Amino acid sequence: MKVIKIEKEKWDKGVEKLNGPLRLFGPVKDGQFHNFKELDKNQQPDLNFLNTRLSPKSTVFPQSEVMFEYSLDESREDHHIMKEIDQDYSPRAVIGIRPCDAKSFLLVKRNFDTDEYKDPYWIRAFEATTFIGLACNNPCSTCFCTSADCGPFHEEGLDLLLVDAGDYYLLKVITSKGENLLKVADWETEADADTSGETSGNIIDTLKKEAEAKITSSVVTDRLKEQISLELYQAPFWEDAAFSCINCGTCTYVCPTCWCFDIQDETHGISGVRIRNWDSCMSPLFTLHGSGHNPRGTKLHRVRQRFMHKLKYYVDKYDDGIQCVGCGRCIRLCPVNIDIRKICEIMNNYEPAACACPA
Amino acid sequence: MLGYIDKIKEISERVLKEGTVEMVIGFQKGTLPMMNEPCFVKCSGDVQRLVWDSNCGINLANYLTDRKEKIAVIAKGCDSRNIVTHIIENKIKRDQLFIIGVPCNGMIDKSKIASMFEKEIIEVVEDQNNIIVKGEGFEETLKKGDVLQENCAICIHRNPVIYDELVSDMVEEQRDVDRYEDVRRIEEMEPDKKYGFFDDLLSACIRCYACRDACPLCYCPTCFVDESRPQWVGKGQDPVDIRTFHFLRAYHCAGRCTDCGACERACPMEIKVRTFTKKLEKDCLEAYGWEAGMSLDERPPLDTFRPDDPEDFIK
Amino acid sequence: MLFKNLMEHMGIEPDRVHFSWISSAESTKFVDVVNEVTAAVKALGPNKNFIIKAA
Repeated sequence: MKVIKIEKEKWDKGVEKLNGPLRLFGPVKDGQFHNFKELDKNQQPDLNFLNTRLSPKSTVFPQSEVMFEYSLDESREDHHIMKEIDQDYSPRAVIGIRPCDAKSFLLVKRNFDTDEYKDPYWIRAFEATTFIGLACNNPCSTCFCTSADCGPFHEEGLDLLLVDAGDYYLLKVITSKGENLLKVADWETEADADTSGETSGNIIDTLKKEAEAKITSSVVTDRLKEQISLELYQAPFWEDAAFSCINCGTCTYVCPTCWCFDIQDETHGISGVRIRNWDSCMSPLFTLHGSGHNPRGTKLHRVRQRFMHKLKYYVDKYDDGIQCVGCGRCIRLCPVNIDIRKICEIMNNYEPAACACPA
Repeated sequence: MLGYIDKIKEISERVLKEGTVEMVIGFQKGTLPMMNEPCFVKCSGDVQRLVWDSNCGINLANYLTDRKEKIAVIAKGCDSRNIVTHIIENKIKRDQLFIIGVPCNGMIDKSKIASMFEKEIIEVVEDQNNIIVKGEGFEETLKKGDVLQENCAICIHRNPVIYDELVSDMVEEQRDVDRYEDVRRIEEMEPDKKYGFFDDLLSACIRCYACRDACPLCYCPTCFVDESRPQWVGKGQDPVDIRTFHFLRAYHCAGRCTDCGACERACPMEIKVRTFTKKLEKDCLEAYGWEAGMSLDERPPLDTFRPDDPEDFIK
Repeated sequence: MLFKNLMEHMGIEPDRVHFSWISSAESTKFVDVVNEVTAAVKALGPNKNFIIKAA
C-alpha cells in the first residue's frame, strides 16, 4: 500500500496542475450548501463540507444529457439523420467525493454496465473519471454507511483516498488509475520515507476507527433477504409509511444510487435533440401507460416501489446488500421526514402473522 | 404553543372515541431535529403519537384532497385558510371535517437555523419564546421571533378562520407588518434586471416539484408540466422550462395562495419560491381587496365578475 | 391583469404583453390595436428573455 504525504499548501498546487490535463469536478459552495461542479481554471475544490446537497452522480450521469441530434435543414449534408452528438470524454477527476458516494457508482454500474446491455454514455464518462475520495473524519448524524456495507474511509469505487490528518493530507493510492495522477500533480513524497514517526497506515487506521465510532445511526438489513416479497408487498404498514409522502422527486434526485431516466425528444424549429433526464419513481408519470392505465396509480404504490426496489428487489437480484450506501441525503431533505432507516427496520422486522392487528 | 398538545390529544381521543371522525390528521415526532412528519391516527389509543411544536410547518390541508372519510384535522391559521379554499373548490366537504383550530405563533425556519451554525445541529428544543440549538461542543439559545419562517414572520392571520374547537385562546395578531417589501424591491427593477433576478433565484432548481407537491392548491390530477398530449413544457434543465414551471404554477395559485410557506419549506435546494406567489397575492389584495381563504361565503376573485374590477390593462 | 403583472414582474417588458377585447363588429378597433401592438413590440426590438435557445 502506497501512501503519499501532502503538505496542505502543496495540495492546492497539485490540484492546479491537474486542472488542464484533466477536467476537474469538485465541491463548490453555492449559497448555503455545497455541490459538485466542474472547476474553472484556477478554482479550488472547497473541502470544508460535511457532504454535498446533491450527490456527485451528475458528474457521470447528468440530470439532463443530450444523446442525439438531427436537422431537417437540407443544405446540411447530414440532414434527416439522427446523429449521436460529440461529448467530451477526455480524462476527468472528481475531487473530494465522499466514500459513500464513490461506492454508489459501483452500485449504479450494475444497471448501466451489464453483460447484456452497456450504456455507452455512462460507461464512457465513468471510465474517463478518476475518483479522489475525501475520508469523513466527521460524519453526520444521519450517516449510516457502516451498516450499508460502506464506511467513512471505505475504498471501493475510489482510485485515491485523501485523509485529512490535521496539518497535512495523506493520500492513499488504491488503483493504478489513481497512481497515474500523482506525477501530474507532483504529489510524490511517500509518507513512510521517514521511518522515525508513526506509519501512515496507523494514522489512517486510527482516524478511521475514530470516524466509525462517531457513526451512531444504522439500518438493520439481516432479514431482508429471507422476507417474502409478496408478503412485504401486501403488508399493511405501507398505508402508514406512505401517508405523509407528497410524491415529490427529492429523495430520488438527491440519491446517489437512483439511476432511472426518461428519454425525451425536443424540437426547435427544424432541428431537434433526443435527451435523457433523470426520472423519479415517485412521479405518477413514471409508470403511466400510453393507454392511460397506471399500474402504480397511488402514492402508496410508488412509495412502496421505491423502498422495495432499494431494500428487497435489489437485495434479491444481486445478493450483495441493499441499494443504498447510507449517505442520508433522502432523510435530511425529505420535506415530510420519511426516513429510510425507519422503513428499512419495519421491512426487516416484518412478521406477517403477527400483523393481524387492526390495520 | 407547547401546551397545546395535551388539548390536541384530548380532543382527538374524544372525537375518535365518539365516532365523530374516522381519523385524525396531525403530526408525529420526526426523526431529525426541526422535523415532524404528518401522520394519521385511527384509534383513540394511538393519539399519544401526536405532537405539536414549532416544526409543524407542512400544510395539512394538502392531506385532505378528495378524501371520503370523516376527518379531524389540526389547523393553524394558514391551514384553516387552505381548508376554506378546499371547501370552496369542492375538494372536501365542510361536514366531513372536524377542525381542531390551533392559534399559531409561527413555525421556525430549519434552513435558516442550520445555516447559522458551522457544525451539524444534533438537537433542538424549545420553550415558550426560545429555541435552544445543540450540537457537538455548542449550545445556543435563539429567540424564536428571530428564526421564524419568512412567511410566519409576516403573517397576519395566525388564528384559524374556521374551526370546530380551539385548543387555546386566540393569539394576538401581528399588526403593522409590511408584507410586500421584497415584492416592491423587485417591482422597482428594470425588466432585464428582473429577468436576471429570477434566473439567479431558480438556478439551483432540480425540478423535483416538491414545492408543487407540498402545496394544498396543487391538486390537479395531471399537472401541466406532466402533460404529454400535448407536451407544454420541456423536461430537461433548460432555464426557460424551469421558469415556465415556476411562474405558471404560481399563476395557477393566483387568488388562492395563503402564503403558508409549505412550498419554500419543502424545497430541498432552499429556493425562495414564494417570490412568485407573493406578487400575485399583493396584486389580488390591491386590485380586489382579496385575501384567500378567509370566508366560506365569498367566491375567489378569479371566478367572479364585479363591475368595478380594474380593467385598465385591456385596450 | 394578474397574468400581465406577473409576466412583467419576472422581466418581460410591459409593451410585449397586450390585452384587448374586440367585438367582431369592431374592425377599425381591431386594426388600431394591431397597429399599436406591432409598433410597441417593434420599438422594443427582438425579445432576448424567456426564449429557449435551440439546442
